Amino acid sequence: MHISDGVLNAPVLVAGFAGTAVLAAATLRKMDLEEIPKVSVITAVFFVASLIKFPVGPTSIHLILNGLVGVVLGWRAFPAILLGLILQAILFGHGGVSVIGVNAIMLGGGALIAYMVWQLRHYVNISKKEIVFGALAGAAGVACSGIVLAVALLTTGEAFLGTVYYVLAVHIPIIIIEAAVVGSSAGFLNRVKPEILAGRVIKSPASS
Amino acid sequence: MPLDIDRYSHLSSPLQRWDPRLKIAALGIFIICIALLKTLPIAITALIIAAVILSFSNLPGHFVSHGMSGVVIFLLPFFLIMPFTYPGESKIYILGLPFAWEGFRIALLIFTKAVAIVLCSFSIFGSSRFDVSMIALQRLKCPKIMTQMLLFTYRYTYTFLEEMKRMHTSMSVRGFIPRTNAYTLGTYGNFVGTLLVRSFERTERIYKAMLSKGYQGEFHSLVTFRANHNDWIKFLFIITAGTVLLVMDSRGTFAQAAQGWY
Repeated sequence: MHISDGVLNAPVLVAGFAGTAVLAAATLRKMDLEEIPKVSVITAVFFVASLIKFPVGPTSIHLILNGLVGVVLGWRAFPAILLGLILQAILFGHGGVSVIGVNAIMLGGGALIAYMVWQLRHYVNISKKEIVFGALAGAAGVACSGIVLAVALLTTGEAFLGTVYYVLAVHIPIIIIEAAVVGSSAGFLNRVKPEILAGRVIKSPASS
Repeated sequence: MPLDIDRYSHLSSPLQRWDPRLKIAALGIFIICIALLKTLPIAITALIIAAVILSFSNLPGHFVSHGMSGVVIFLLPFFLIMPFTYPGESKIYILGLPFAWEGFRIALLIFTKAVAIVLCSFSIFGSSRFDVSMIALQRLKCPKIMTQMLLFTYRYTYTFLEEMKRMHTSMSVRGFIPRTNAYTLGTYGNFVGTLLVRSFERTERIYKAMLSKGYQGEFHSLVTFRANHNDWIKFLFIITAGTVLLVMDSRGTFAQAAQGWY
């Protein structure tokens, strides 16, 4: 899910690039040498995984997985998604060069929100909380992206009001699917290789 | 899926011979100019210029059209939604729905600009090897950390694509058929998780291998860039074209009336 070239007007595009620059600088701070290959390789996985199609009736939709990027990479999710978008714009030839900024805010911002939601699991004590909060993070990631997209379209022009309704309606099944996939992935990773998951301990190391 | 955009970068043409630094700078600015256009005639002119530039590259038509099909599919909904949801009165009704020409004009403008920009990005990245483009970007003051990560991600995208295909094959061999149900969702969740675990373990091996080969956070390249007169002439030509289009656009040349919202 991303917006294409040619749709948005100049102020929105510029705001997208400016916001992306700020967020990228903030989330890339204190990056270790070791993290460069790690974040890039995991970005490649997400890039590939987002090609998976889930059948919905006669059609199919792509997984977005920006929530899972947040759950796995934490704050580094933003540069990872930015990378993925640049590669997508370059590799597929589907365009998107002028909207890299807006798309990065849309998907990367969603990933950061998903990470925040994911971190909330430390404050509750229920069984299978990784699955529950993974699902919530997956839903939050896509929902935030949908909201940013709606705002970007509406700021460009009121003529897009109809499009916005369409976009928001389309997001509802996507949110459900993403929540299910990210929840199940988070639960799986927690059982198999919990050190991949971001932000494992913040407060009480004894409880985990 | 044409993942390898640089498949035809070995062909010889004015675009392939152009210094990648100047090519990225010139066409990058041209893309920004296109993104700022507001009137349809100028956007169509930009589209023609973009097509002419691309035609110099000798890239095969099927290669370009394959990439374009994605854009067209993405933009088609705009033609269905915009004309029928544009606010205000309209005189024409199609199937009982109000049809606004203004909405149709916006959809057409969006479509033209998007196609023009995609043609330009084909001209940029289809005519140089990917790693050369990245080094050129680095010379253009793009942060080193970004270009390095892009090169890594690019390299491993193919590896994981293969890995995913293998996993998919083994799933279908065991009789998995994706359907619209919770079981499929859960399976895909585990699928992505497995892919992550495998790649995570691989990253550690990759990093150790790189360290042992002396990696210290920098890539060294044998690529050298050299801009000659011709390269600069092409650069100036594209920049002028972009500027002229923008000026004509903002002055409203060819535009019948002031466009209210855009």
